[in-house]
Amino acid sequence: MPLLDPGTLALVALAALLLAGALSPLETLGWWAGWYGDPVDERALDPACGSADESDEASPERTPEADAGTEVGRGEAGAVSPAASPWVVYLTGIQAVGPVSYADADRRLLARLADAVPSGRVVEVFPYSVTNRALTGERTFARVWRWALRAKLDHRRLLQVAGFLINLRNLWQVLVSADRRYGPFYSRGSAELIVRSLRRRGYPLEPGPYAPRIVLVGYSGGAQVAAGAAPFVRQRTHAEVTVVSLGGVLAADPGLLAADRVWHLYGTADRIHRWTSWMFPGRWRLLPWSPWNVARHRGRLREVAISPCDHTGVDGYLDEQAHVRDGRSYFEVTLDVLAAIARGDDEPLPVAA
Amino acid sequence: MDAPLELVWGALRLDAAAFRSLLVAAPAAGVGLTVVYLAGLSLAVGQSVVLFAERVSPRRFAATLVVQAVLFLASFVAYALAVWWVARVGFDAARPLRDVVAVVGLAHAPQLLGFLILTPYLGGPLQSLLSAWTLLATVVAAAAVFDLGAAQALACSAGGWVVAQLLQRTLGVPLVRAGQRVRAWVAGIEMASATRRAR
Repeated sequence: MPLLDPGTLALVALAALLLAGALSPLETLGWWAGWYGDPVDERALDPACGSADESDEASPERTPEADAGTEVGRGEAGAVSPAASPWVVYLTGIQAVGPVSYADADRRLLARLADAVPSGRVVEVFPYSVTNRALTGERTFARVWRWALRAKLDHRRLLQVAGFLINLRNLWQVLVSADRRYGPFYSRGSAELIVRSLRRRGYPLEPGPYAPRIVLVGYSGGAQVAAGAAPFVRQRTHAEVTVVSLGGVLAADPGLLAADRVWHLYGTADRIHRWTSWMFPGRWRLLPWSPWNVARHRGRLREVAISPCDHTGVDGYLDEQAHVRDGRSYFEVTLDVLAAIARGDDEPLPVAA
Repeated sequence: MDAPLELVWGALRLDAAAFRSLLVAAPAAGVGLTVVYLAGLSLAVGQSVVLFAERVSPRRFAATLVVQAVLFLASFVAYALAVWWVARVGFDAARPLRDVVAVVGLAHAPQLLGFLILTPYLGGPLQSLLSAWTLLATVVAAAAVFDLGAAQALACSAGGWVVAQLLQRTLGVPLVRAGQRVRAWVAGIEMASATRRAR
């Protein structure tokens, strides 16, 4: 049998893919069972619990940059924002390796969003690890992920393909979040990270009528994590929670029904958006009882085409070179729409003309 | 073809020659029972979410997997006995029980991939696929060991399953309950209610 027989290679690749899939829930399950990671913070997610956990130091097994969430476009956490100010939590796409985006476009978006919503705060959270560990941090396979990240950032196409391993790993985590067996655990873990991150930046967690509004913005796979975490974040903060799915790869998660509003924003040339609407049966119009369709019928979930953009890269949501007819770049359209939703100034949304 | 791994590979490919080769191998029943035990272990891993959900310690987790594999082996023996009996009574096909245990055990090779049920979002379909694959392998095995046609072999496999289910729900009830008690004791939780909670 030749070494590079295509059939054998395909079989090996399929076996590796399935093995990676079978192993993918173990981080979440092991964390929930208390086998590793920070213990489950029941109080952080208990709506009946008023006081927050004050022992919020970074775990020694985390790298400093992997600590819960980073704030964008502001210096030190200052005074608590006014009640009406939105707190935007950004959950990035499946190319991420840790809580701080390495992608320039992501960083620019967050900085511009912080400027566009001056009364609010923008916080970034890594959505693909309930133990809040960067892939390149202290993990058994950290070397592999560091190599994959270097490959991803390399200009040579062959190496960039190797970097796709990161996307694949994070895509399995999206499916863990979407799976009804693991979703509740994953979503609790994600919500715990989000709440912890908000608290560190000064978000007031005490129950009261003026809890600042929270806008969970999930790009691509981050949207699934945002939708899953929404009910737990809402329970804990007593705040109005809006979920924004930017080209979201998300299932008909029950969390969609707990969010006060859900915006599913997409580009008309976004093939990933089209494929995922087929991939998750709960999003089919044939199933009117699915959380997706119930939320849509209640008017809580709105699907809006914002521009003729694709999912990522050239002609993607964050492309600054491609322009729509009104002269704005795809990036600016995406920014304007996100800022409008964050400000609550969303009727009508400033989509591409 | 008589190395155990080759036999397993042959069973996965639904190759009747693998089942016939097994019958001439010396520890044929041992190979079959080993495949079933390992398949039970793999399935137990695939269905272990309930143990994680109940926050079972790693030591209890490992012990519970072993117990579940032993229980799977016990239910397999009942199934093999039922297939042997259905073939004898229904089709007048008589073979030693140990031969039936050997080939029907080897036919459980697809369940060695039972850990794949853990795969998010695809776990359910994969479980169904493995069950169908095992049924097909059992039909091939029954045809090989009893020298029957496909329809008769299918009747043996399906009939054996029905008889085994009847046994478990009647005469076997005390044994099934004892098994559940042992499993709950080892895991430190009430398995039935834990499964309901996990759903």
